[in-house]
Amino acid sequence: MAGPTLFTVKRRTVITTATVVVVLLAGALAVTLLTSGKGDASDAMVEYQAGHRPLAPDFTATSVTGKPITFASYRGKTVVLNFWGSWCPPCRDEAPTLEVLAQQYGPKGVDFLGDDVNDTPQNAVAFEQSVGITYPSVNDPGYAIVQDFSQVAPVSDTPTTVVIDRTGHIAGMVLGSVTYAQMTKLLNFAAVTQ
Amino acid sequence: MTDVHTPPSAEAAEDEGEATGPFAGDDSGVAGGGGTGGTAGPPQAGAGWLRWMWRQLTSMRTALILLFLLALGSVPGSVLPQQGADPAAVTAYYTEHPWLAPVMNDLGLFNVFAAPWFAAIYLLLFASLIGCVVPRTFKLVGSARTPPPRAPRNLARLPHSASYPSVLAPDAAVDAAAAVLSGARFRLRRPADGDKGHWLSAEKGYLREVGNLVFHLSLLGVLVSIALGGLFGYKADKLMVEGSQFSDTTSALDEFHPGRLVTGSDLAPFSLTLNKFTATYLTSGQSIGQPESFIANVTYAATPGGRQRTDNIEVNHPLSVDSVKVYLIGHGYAPVFKVANAKGQVSYEEATPFIPANTSSLLSDGVVKAPEDSLGFEGVFVPTAVMTSNGTLESLFPAADNPEVSLIGYSGNLGMNDGVPQSVYQLDTTGMTKVSGSPHLMSQGQTWTLPGGRGSITYVGTKQWVSLAITYDPGQVPALVCALLAIAGLLLSFFVRRRRVFVRAVPAASGTGSVVTVGGLTRSDASGGFEDEFASLSAELAGLDGPDGSDGPLPNNQSETGA
Repeated sequence: MAGPTLFTVKRRTVITTATVVVVLLAGALAVTLLTSGKGDASDAMVEYQAGHRPLAPDFTATSVTGKPITFASYRGKTVVLNFWGSWCPPCRDEAPTLEVLAQQYGPKGVDFLGDDVNDTPQNAVAFEQSVGITYPSVNDPGYAIVQDFSQVAPVSDTPTTVVIDRTGHIAGMVLGSVTYAQMTKLLNFAAVTQ
Repeated sequence: MTDVHTPPSAEAAEDEGEATGPFAGDDSGVAGGGGTGGTAGPPQAGAGWLRWMWRQLTSMRTALILLFLLALGSVPGSVLPQQGADPAAVTAYYTEHPWLAPVMNDLGLFNVFAAPWFAAIYLLLFASLIGCVVPRTFKLVGSARTPPPRAPRNLARLPHSASYPSVLAPDAAVDAAAAVLSGARFRLRRPADGDKGHWLSAEKGYLREVGNLVFHLSLLGVLVSIALGGLFGYKADKLMVEGSQFSDTTSALDEFHPGRLVTGSDLAPFSLTLNKFTATYLTSGQSIGQPESFIANVTYAATPGGRQRTDNIEVNHPLSVDSVKVYLIGHGYAPVFKVANAKGQVSYEEATPFIPANTSSLLSDGVVKAPEDSLGFEGVFVPTAVMTSNGTLESLFPAADNPEVSLIGYSGNLGMNDGVPQSVYQLDTTGMTKVSGSPHLMSQGQTWTLPGGRGSITYVGTKQWVSLAITYDPGQVPALVCALLAIAGLLLSFFVRRRRVFVRAVPAASGTGSVVTVGGLTRSDASGGFEDEFASLSAELAGLDGPDGSDGPLPNNQSETGA
């Protein structure tokens, strides 16, 4: 009887010890996750290498001036999609930069499009006229388009600016207000689709 | 309760191998293998030390101390302001106790449930429970596989015993007893080939240990459920004006408190439209103005482009969509304003949520920002306005029966182009000049033309807003199930006793029939029910051989009850 008993005891000890070790490791992981703060993601830039770019969701919406806009019609061009609102100071701050870029990159086959969230068309148009924004914006009061994009990319705050390459894939994004340098870098990066 | 009361008659069992001390050899601690570990001193060797520490950790006493510490550790979590639940209160605490607050922050007292020391208690309890449950599961499986011990030779020395004459031969008498005990769902053991004598061992009450294990496993389950909620759950708030839409995504939320492993794409992708909010208030009696009902009528879709459904959200009736619950937690008024420049070009037209300053009359404060016209307004919304004799505006009733707004206009730079985020409920008036004619009182439909060609503001109409709490707690249902299982397990282990009954038959001295002795034994008979059970069992056994042997059992109980 001694042999099998010894064996059984050993197996039990091994299983008990293994269980405890696994649980302690899982616990240590949990503690690390619970105590470590999340990284500061403000003004961060995200880039996706060609071949690993998430497909941008399609949408159809009405522009703030009342025209229908279908995102699929932009396929074949690089698109800068800016999520903004006239109520949002960082968005108002970056708008002139985006307009300069739109003037500069428009002839090079880059289209700019705004997605105006949590806003009324009246407020949006008044702001665009006062700053002189020439590119169109769709009206997205309930964040429906943002929700679609947040399923494939970390669009988590306003403003966020997404750059979509010629094939309709998301090449990268700027979280927070854009700078001119960030955008030229992203646009060059997006041009490489192979 | 944790100790086995070894019957004084244990030594009565003679040299029948396993039967020596009928419950001897079973582990004694109710709370696990280490139940008595605390009593032995630490040994010298290194491995021995580890073993001793392990025994200490997995002992019932340590588990109870840890459970108590866990409860004690939760106290500051409910007494002190917590960063996650109420960051403003934490800031206020810093202002009030400038030297104490940093120390408390270092100790994690403002975020107790995420503090390392709290996690340490939690994890030690976890380890203690596992170290207790795993060996006991093996033990239970082992004891379920092992047949009951052989019957002791002298059953009369057991705590409970009885004997009766039977007309049946010893073999038949034991067979008859076996049938009865088997019918009472006892596990039986009969003599193997080569064993001498006519006897029977029976045992039942394994559910006691099963219940005990279920209890411990359920406690583990509760801990795991809480962890699940903390890691994968989230809480969020959203303010919505009547007629507006909302898609559940991080950018759209006013407040978002995600669990540690939650990212934006984990949010349930539902969308919701607030069609109408209806609040009714008592219109007469002493509690006039008290709310009667709040109903938010919403249309929602669980997925983008999915089927649209309509439902009402009420105070104790949240909306359930895709395992997320949406609660109605607040309401207020959102007057609609239109701001235009001197040429009549509109620069602002929006329902503007005002925050109740008085929760019973719903007198509310808010601001209007029209940066394109460099205009800002601080406003007071009065749902049922009356002008008192001393010239102040008051609200008589919370419903919007006679809504009026009083506005103070400011002109100048609102600071909204500096890129610095600002609250939509506050106006920074530094560097702005007050518009003459302020405060200006307006009824619905009225326009205030500002002096000096600065434009105009129109109070177009009144909408209502609701505040919604969106919560997802994947640990809620498992925690409830585990808590119920824990109670069920505890009850099982309280009310079920492990008990053994032995039967021996020897040929009667007269030559025909036999004399049957029945012995009974139980472990930790706290509720004292075994005596009755044994009496009725032995009476049933004695009555087996028909009307002749109706003498009944001769009880020679050794009064072991209440042990």
